[in-house]
Amino acid sequence: MRLLVLVVLSVALMVVDARFTLLKPVRSQMSLVLMQSYWITDLPQRLWQGVASQFGSRTELVAENEKLKTENLLLQGRMQKLAALTEQNVRLRELLNSSALVNEKVEVAELIGMDPNPFTHRIIINKGERDGVVLGQPVLDARGLMGQVVELMPYTSRVLLLTDTTHSIPVQVNRNGLRAIASGTGNPERLELRHVADTADIKEGDLLVSSGLGQRFPAGYPVATVKEVIHDSGQPFAIVRAVPTAALNRSRYLLLVFSDTRTPEERANDAAQAQESLDAQGGGPVIPATVPKPALVPSAVAAPATPAAATPAAPATTPPAATPVKPTATHPAAPKPPATAPAAAKPPAAQPAVVKPAAKPPVSAPATPGGRE
Amino acid sequence: MVGATASRNGWIVWLTFAIGLLLSVSPLPQFMEILRPLWLALLLAFWALALPQKVGMVTAWCLGLAEDVLYGTLLGQNALILTLITYLVLALQQRLRMFPMWQQSLVILVIFGLAQLVQLWLSALTGNRQPTLALVLPALVSALLWPWISFGLRGLRRRYKIN
Repeated sequence: MRLLVLVVLSVALMVVDARFTLLKPVRSQMSLVLMQSYWITDLPQRLWQGVASQFGSRTELVAENEKLKTENLLLQGRMQKLAALTEQNVRLRELLNSSALVNEKVEVAELIGMDPNPFTHRIIINKGERDGVVLGQPVLDARGLMGQVVELMPYTSRVLLLTDTTHSIPVQVNRNGLRAIASGTGNPERLELRHVADTADIKEGDLLVSSGLGQRFPAGYPVATVKEVIHDSGQPFAIVRAVPTAALNRSRYLLLVFSDTRTPEERANDAAQAQESLDAQGGGPVIPATVPKPALVPSAVAAPATPAAATPAAPATTPPAATPVKPTATHPAAPKPPATAPAAAKPPAAQPAVVKPAAKPPVSAPATPGGRE
Repeated sequence: MVGATASRNGWIVWLTFAIGLLLSVSPLPQFMEILRPLWLALLLAFWALALPQKVGMVTAWCLGLAEDVLYGTLLGQNALILTLITYLVLALQQRLRMFPMWQQSLVILVIFGLAQLVQLWLSALTGNRQPTLALVLPALVSALLWPWISFGLRGLRRRYKIN
């Protein structure tokens, strides 16, 4: 009798949990207590790391420090180039009238547990709803995409990895933009591209990056490298196997990507509004400020140059105000002249002006007469 | 804490369950994940045999819910499994007590195997297909562990006179 009641109760619970969101608060309350057990089981490793770092020898630390310093230098060097490239990319997109890049911000999370079920690839991280994590949020490690958040708890969340059998991600070949869908296989070192035509231009060693088509993952993050392409005349499609670039079963520190939650239309609207207010204030260049700025450049360079054109841009927020001068950042030597002669702040903008005229007149012409008085 | 019967040292039972929950999520090397014994089911089977007036299906159900939250499965899935296991153990209680250890292990193997089968159906319903035979391995490992668990917990029970 009691069995019957309990069985019916469990089945009812399962159905409700599968179909409705009614039980989510119950689950999140229970997880508040229960998820501590992941933390506890992780404790020995944590302690071990603590002890190891306490007793790490000085020479080792110095060596590691050196290594990190060189690595940092290299990365920063690459970053400099990246700033210029980002700028160029925005400019070209501007020319093509395509939507701009998504504004993204990342936060570090730590892995605290693996899913005990060996047939699913899920991990548990130490950031949850209270930290602003949202359902479906992409998770990266230093080398590539890892997966997405599938369950939120107050201080922890569960992440479904790319290689889970129930997971697929839209990708494209970095070399030529060929689109495909990469599905998990249940093997942590293996993804499979489904339905790739036998004649498709894809070969061993190709880098697959996220295409952003599913509206879930941001575009352009590395996902996997193609390991083998098998053309079997008995099969309707080529068999393409790829290895995830992220260290799915080794990474301990992960990055949560907080992307722009606005839809493309909203983003376009916002950009248009920002631009209109800019135009109204004296027809500054028309780059929407949707690209993350390396903080060091604009603050240093923008300050002296902006007074000429964009001081009234109080409501227009700083990023748009900073954009006009941005091109000068590509020529580290250039910023001095415009700074000394604020009146000549336009000349550096002449470089983009070569680009601008095509796009600008139709937009700024109606706007400027109103704002210029 | 439980019922009108004079219960003593009941907290130790709960402590073992807490440890069982920890063990069921503790990290294991990749190749051993597939062999992870059903700790909670083992503990429940023992305590249901030893203290049937205290540990029963309701306890099993609650622990199952806790496991569901930990594993992120549908609420009620593991609750159902553990309830079934406890029910079967309680139904075979009289015989199990008479059996020698190896025979107990065999019965445990059969019960846990059945439970894993139900588990397989449930996860198939919820969309996670799993390789069939590998799923019986935890039941096998649990059955092999049963004598040790049984001796250990019996010693614990004698020592603290839990009833």
